[in-house]
Amino acid sequence: MSARQLAITVGVAVLMGVLGLALGRYAAYLVNAVAIAALGALSLNLIIGYCGQISFAQGALLGVGAYTAGNLSNAGLDGAVAILGGGLLGAAVSALVGLPAMRLRGLYFAIATLAAQAILEYLFKILDPLTNGVSGLVITPPTILGFPMNSDQSLVVPSLVILVLAWLAVSRLMRTDLGRAFLVVRESEIVAKGMGIDVSHAKMQAFLIGGFIAGVAGALAGYANRLASPEAFTLDLSADYIAMIIIGGLGTWPGPLIGAAFVVLLPEAIQRVGEAAGISDILSALRELAFGLLIILFLIFEPRGLTALLSRLRPRGIGAAPHGSVGAPGESGQPQEGGSR
Amino acid sequence: MTLALQLAVAGLATGSVYALIAIGVVLIFKCSGVVNFAQGAYAMVGAYVSYVLLRTGLPAIVAVLGSMAVLAVFGTLTERLVLRPMLKAPLVAVMMVTLGLLIVSRAACLIVWGPDQIAFPKVFPEGAISAAGIFITYNYVAAGVLALVLSLGFLAFYQFTPIGLQQRCAADNTRAALAIGIHVSNQVSLAWAMSAALAGLAGTLLATLNGLSLDLAGIGMIAFPVIVVGGLSSLAGALIAGLLLGMLQSFTDGLLTPALEEFLREHTSIYSVGALQQVVPYALLVLMLLFRPQGLFGRRGTERV
Repeated sequence: MSARQLAITVGVAVLMGVLGLALGRYAAYLVNAVAIAALGALSLNLIIGYCGQISFAQGALLGVGAYTAGNLSNAGLDGAVAILGGGLLGAAVSALVGLPAMRLRGLYFAIATLAAQAILEYLFKILDPLTNGVSGLVITPPTILGFPMNSDQSLVVPSLVILVLAWLAVSRLMRTDLGRAFLVVRESEIVAKGMGIDVSHAKMQAFLIGGFIAGVAGALAGYANRLASPEAFTLDLSADYIAMIIIGGLGTWPGPLIGAAFVVLLPEAIQRVGEAAGISDILSALRELAFGLLIILFLIFEPRGLTALLSRLRPRGIGAAPHGSVGAPGESGQPQEGGSR
Repeated sequence: MTLALQLAVAGLATGSVYALIAIGVVLIFKCSGVVNFAQGAYAMVGAYVSYVLLRTGLPAIVAVLGSMAVLAVFGTLTERLVLRPMLKAPLVAVMMVTLGLLIVSRAACLIVWGPDQIAFPKVFPEGAISAAGIFITYNYVAAGVLALVLSLGFLAFYQFTPIGLQQRCAADNTRAALAIGIHVSNQVSLAWAMSAALAGLAGTLLATLNGLSLDLAGIGMIAFPVIVVGGLSSLAGALIAGLLLGMLQSFTDGLLTPALEEFLREHTSIYSVGALQQVVPYALLVLMLLFRPQGLFGRRGTERV
């Protein structure tokens, strides 16, 4: 990660923090939602955008984190330990989800993750002693390092600090041999093997690291909602996260945050407009309709996402992707041949 | 024994409807390489359109054919307007756009018809057959037989008619098909149209069995375990796997679930295994992918690279 990326990351986080703390409860709620979504998108961007393994199980992985952290802090542990626990179990489950990737590629692996999502959703519903079944696990507000997390505002600082740490860690990771190996695996497993990369090992690392971040995001989501229920972590949530990283720009550095902000804030905006227009009874359906239409339009007209759109407006912008490169551009913006097809 | 027979017949009935949906997914995959998550949306929209047409008082057969025609147009439009511009997009984007279609269709149906389950008008006469100690309603018989006959009919159409031959040729080798004068892009649109129409019919049949609701879109997801078990590129595989999974679900629901719950109640604090029959297909999917990724009837190396 370059000094500029460090400055941008910290600057954006500070800005979000100031907004969240200064503008009252609703702003704090939005900042938390964006930060948590950005964490989840960051992890999925690592798995899909950088390593090229399409996963539809992200929603369930967040669920694992939420249930784990919820149970740990309900049992009286400090929130920081509980979040760490959520991350670790998230990583373990993610490794299981990624296991078929040792043998399967592309489409087949994507379908395998679809199954993992379905099975995990089912487990959330039936593992009653841990998940409290369909009614969901009520999470009492924890204390994180001694600070009680009893309001939206109090959660802003921990979620932003974690977001910055994870963001910097992933940026750093993409400059290491392992990070480079991810990109090669994405472009061609055969080439990766030819270069002496242990493809299975690289994929497994991507799932472990991605799963850890997803688990942490889920833990924070559990604390923000104070409830972990099966309906919150369905395939629809997985679809939201895939939408975020595609809208933000697959495999780009700023993509996950841009996409997360877009996908979280757009429905809120529609909600406000709808309430003002007095059509609140069909609002949730309209919100979904607008969301789905936007995904489709985005994918058709700007498959490289908002990052590419922004950098076209300002050619030397952040994460600038050169014109004409089909598919996902690399982490620091070098052109990469082909896509993750 | 009677129970087993009863479950087998019920499973075959729903299984043949699954097969109808899964055949559509395979057809689209063979022809355009797209894995269509929106197949469940076609089933749902088909059921709602049938509902509207039936409510106007049309005879059932006209209403169902009408809904299939509407769905064929819908399928063609999605191919032309949404999928065609995305020919060069990465796989994840193509999968995501079909998920987007699913979200949009579900939201649109929610706006028009609301979230509640609607009682579907009677299409088949009331009553039941009882033979050999088993008992099955006309609804199930009609849905099962209709779906089975149409699946077989479609396979025969695909195998033995000139249009079917063009379809297979376009799916097998695009360049060769173009070289011998087959209008490949029309064939692809036709595949989407037929696939959507079949799914629409399947949705209508499911609605006659279970009532009409937005859940039909989710039931369409069962197509994925079916096509993986049958082999992603095999239409006959989709039919057989559909029947197999239908029966597997039925046996899970009728035999395995009660036995398992009894065992769990004795030994653990879990008192219910919930909708076990809904995850069993996915467990089978994972096993299949791990041990025989080409499916029961697929060919090796059919992955789109």
